[in-house]
Formats: sequence, structure tokens, C-alpha cells
Amino acid sequence: MSALAEILFGGLFQGSLYAMMAVGLALVWTTIGVFNFSHGVFMMLGAYIAWQLVELGLPAAVAFPIAVVVMAGVGWILQASVVRPLIGRPNIVLVVVITTLAAGSLIENGALTIWGPRSKQIPALIDGNTTIGGVGVSLHQIAIIVITPLILAALWMFLNRTRLGLALRAVAQNEDASHLVGLNVTALYGLAFAIAASLAGLAGIFMGGYRFMSPVMGSDPLLKALIVVVFGGISSISGPIFAAYLIGFFEAACSYYFGLYWTPALLFGVLILTLMVRPEGIFASRSRGLA
Amino acid sequence: MNPILTVEGITAGYGRVTVLHDISLEAGRFGNVGLFGPNGHGKTTLLRAISGLLQAKSGRIQFDGQDISGLSARAIVGTGLIHVPQGNRLFPDLSIADCMALGAYSPRARPHEAENREKVVKLFPKLAERWRQRVRTLSGGERQMVSIGTALMSHPRLLILDEPTLGLAPKIKDELCASVMDISRGGVPLIVVEQDIEFLLELTQQLYLVNHGAVATEIKPGESLDHGEIMSMYFGH
Ligand SMILES: Nc1ncnc2c1ncn2[C@@H]1O[C@H](COP(=O)(O)OP(=O)(O)O)[C@@H](O)[C@H]1O
Ligand SMILES: [Mg+2]
Repeated sequence: MSALAEILFGGLFQGSLYAMMAVGLALVWTTIGVFNFSHGVFMMLGAYIAWQLVELGLPAAVAFPIAVVVMAGVGWILQASVVRPLIGRPNIVLVVVITTLAAGSLIENGALTIWGPRSKQIPALIDGNTTIGGVGVSLHQIAIIVITPLILAALWMFLNRTRLGLALRAVAQNEDASHLVGLNVTALYGLAFAIAASLAGLAGIFMGGYRFMSPVMGSDPLLKALIVVVFGGISSISGPIFAAYLIGFFEAACSYYFGLYWTPALLFGVLILTLMVRPEGIFASRSRGLA
Repeated sequence: MNPILTVEGITAGYGRVTVLHDISLEAGRFGNVGLFGPNGHGKTTLLRAISGLLQAKSGRIQFDGQDISGLSARAIVGTGLIHVPQGNRLFPDLSIADCMALGAYSPRARPHEAENREKVVKLFPKLAERWRQRVRTLSGGERQMVSIGTALMSHPRLLILDEPTLGLAPKIKDELCASVMDISRGGVPLIVVEQDIEFLLELTQQLYLVNHGAVATEIKPGESLDHGEIMSMYFGH
């Protein structure tokens, strides 16, 4: 019983963080057709901004939403400065990998300069611990497990039930046709980046509440998010969400039965097998588009 | 009647390649306008320059007295100049309903959404049967109907169609031509690029032969030519 509870809980928790990160990567890929390698840095920056605001004396309930909104602005600016000018170039995918990596490393070093290398921590969403099915868990982690699906559902509703969301899905599929119905394609690109950066920032706040933060805290989650979108298929946002939880459960099970040490190797083994059998990802249809 | 659209000395192309060489024409003085000419001579490029998808290097485009050269595609949609591009690629993973909602995206079209949707459904009853179906699952003819329907949702004051019957089976093509005639009779002026000269002669009052990125010949009402003469222009004498 406690084994199952532990795997279930660990899977839900890790899956939530992965989903939160991966969905932003997928959103940017489907709308603009580029991979944003500063996505991990967004996560770090969100956490540090939240930390700074709390340091300044704001209560967490105010600081966290402000940090998320600030991250939306950061995402927009990054898009306007290192992505938008390159749109239309023949090698855009590769070029943007480089420009976003460069911008990310600049921001990372900026964070190091401003906040220093000392690890920091931000307040948990909810303080305290409890026991479920014989497993001790923190309320912070439970809050993440509950909040994440709500946010992802809200994103899904936004994309599928609002006209602005429809516009984002349209740009993802055909840019010329989007221009011809009068969509503001540039603004929609900015919006995709802003949403992605906010979600990454929120993931950072989640993480900073139970683990020590450092300026490089985003690089492992970025790698995991990349694995998730490759595994789940980069053509939609529902694929990566399912994949995130699947990988979360897989990791939880692996580390329970084989130990933490073997988990990355097993994960990559599964990833390679998936790519050999279904190169487009397990949940993917063959086209690009948000759904 | 004053022309609704005037193109004056447009030069445009892709990168260093110039496709349109100082091309000028007028539309709306005599009714619908047809453009024809050999493939690859710049008809699509001209339409893209008119609708703002492509910035011309020089020249001027006026729509209903307003200078629209240099405006963004979105701003041009906002004036009511609507362009149905060649090849009906559209939004493959959106439903017909979604496409119609997008057609009515601009603030100018939004208030007329319900009324225009009714018009589209009346014109293309087939679309109503497949309203929730994804565009990629539709036939070529149906996709063309969605393209034109989406444009009608934008409440056009001038509608530009780029080879609407390209690649359609004869029976479907005839149906589509009839629908385009209906749109014209409903009072929307048209600019149509077509390979099918018979259809153009029936639909339009004024023809331009576009050759090497310029107007080679203009055919005004009263100067109607027969099919043979046009064919000989097409292929050089
Ligand atoms: N996106 C593009 N990039 C570069 N050249 C293009 C592009 N689109 C069209 N062309 C070139 O421009 C010329 C005119 O093409 P187009 O306007 O499509 O002609 P038409 O519609 O009359 O068949 C052709 O030589 C074509 O190869
Ligand atoms: Mg063409």
C-alpha cells in the first residue's frame, strides 16, 4: 500500500512540475515553430523575483502573482528581442536555439551577479506536513498537485473556448492565412512567449518552495521538459501534458524499485525506444497545431 | 464609376529577385476584374502585394480612395479588402466553425458575424453538414468553400480570389463557379485570377493579361475577344 502511495504521489508531484514546464515549450513550438532554450532560465527568474519580493516584505500571496505577471513581461521582451527579428529566416529553428541559449546564459549570469551564488528558499504555498496512505508528504507538494491540473485546464479552456485562444491555434497552423483574417501575428507570438514564461516562472516558484534555489536551477527542468515534449510529441499541448505525468510516474516507480541512480538511464532508454518506434512522439498526430 | 482599387507602378519580389516590374492596373470601374496569364509570371505575387502579405519596393496602391501601400495585412483586412490565397491550405486542424469565427475576427466584421454566417451557409450548404469537422479531412472543393466562406465572414468590400478552381474536378468546379457568380450578384466586387478563361469571360467585365510581372494587355468591355484570340495572347503569337 505504501509503495503504491509513494509512487502515485511522487509521480503526480514530478509530473505536475514537468507538465507546467513542458506546456510552455510546446506552446512556443506550436505557435512560432522554435524551441526556446531560455525556458529553464524563465523558471529560475520567476523564483528569484518571487524571493526578492518576499524579501522586500510582500506577503507570498501578493509576491507570487506579481512574479508571474513580471515573467509574462520578460517572456514578451525576450521574444521581441531575440526571436521576432529572426522570423522568416531559413534556419530559424537552429538560430533561435542559439539566440535563446545566449539570452538565457546572460540572464543566468545576471541573476548570479545580482543575487549571488548562495542558495535561497521561498515560502511554501502552504506550510506543514501530513500523512497519506502511510507516506509523509508536505502540504506544499499537495498544493502543487492540485493547482497544476487546474492551471493546465484553464490554459486548455483558454486555447479551445476563447476567440483569442482560437487565434493562437490558428497562427500555429498557417501564418499567411492568419494575416489574411486580420490576426495580429506579432502580438500573438508575444502572447505565446508571455504565457510560456509565466508558467515557467510559476513552476520556479513551486520548486523554490521545497528545494534550495540557485541561478542554474532551471537547467535540469529544461532538460526534463525537452524530454517530455519529445516523448509526448511536440505537435500539441495535450500530448506533453500526458507525457509529463507518464514520465513522472515512470521516474517515481524507477526510483522506488531501482533507486535514484538508475532512473535517468532507464528514462533515456525508454525515450530512445520511443523515438525509434514513433519518432513523432507517442501522443502526437503528424501535424503542428495546438489542441 | 470610380475604380475601387488602383495599383500604380508596383515593383515587388522576393529577396533580390524582382517579380513585378512597375505594374499598374485598376479594378471596379467596369465591374469584376479577371487576371490571367502563364504560371509563374507574378499574379499571386501581385495579390500578395495588394493584401499586404508582401511589401512592395515601390509604387502605390489605393483602395477606395485610401492609400494602403505600406499598411500591414491586418490593417488592410480592416479596410474590407479580403484576399483568398491560392491553394486553400487554410488551418488544417481547425474546424469549419473555427475558420468562420476567425473570418469574423476583425472589429469591422464582428458585428456582422451572424448575418454573414447565414449567407455562407446558404451559399455552401455542404459546409453546414460538416460544421465541426477538421479542414484537413475535407475534399479540395470543400476546402475551397471554407476559404471563400472565411473571406465572406470578413465582410468584404472587395474580394480577391486566387485561382479558386485550381485542381477541382469538373462537376465541383462548375458548382464553385456558380457560387462565385452568386457572390458577385450579391454585390461584392471581385478580382479573380483564373486559368479557366471561359469562367473569367462569364464572371468579369475587364481582363488583364499578366506577363513577366507586368500587364501585357488590358481588355475592357466592348473589346471582348473570343477564346481563340485570348489563347494566342497567352502563348505568344
Ligand atoms: N516565396 C517565394 N520566394 C521566392 N520566389 C517566389 C516565391 N513565390 C513565388 N516566387 C517566384 O515568383 C515568380 C512569380 O510567382 P507567382 O506570383 O506565384 O506567379 P503566378 O501566380 O502568376 O503563377 C515565380 O518565378 C516564382 O518562382
Ligand atoms: Mg499563382
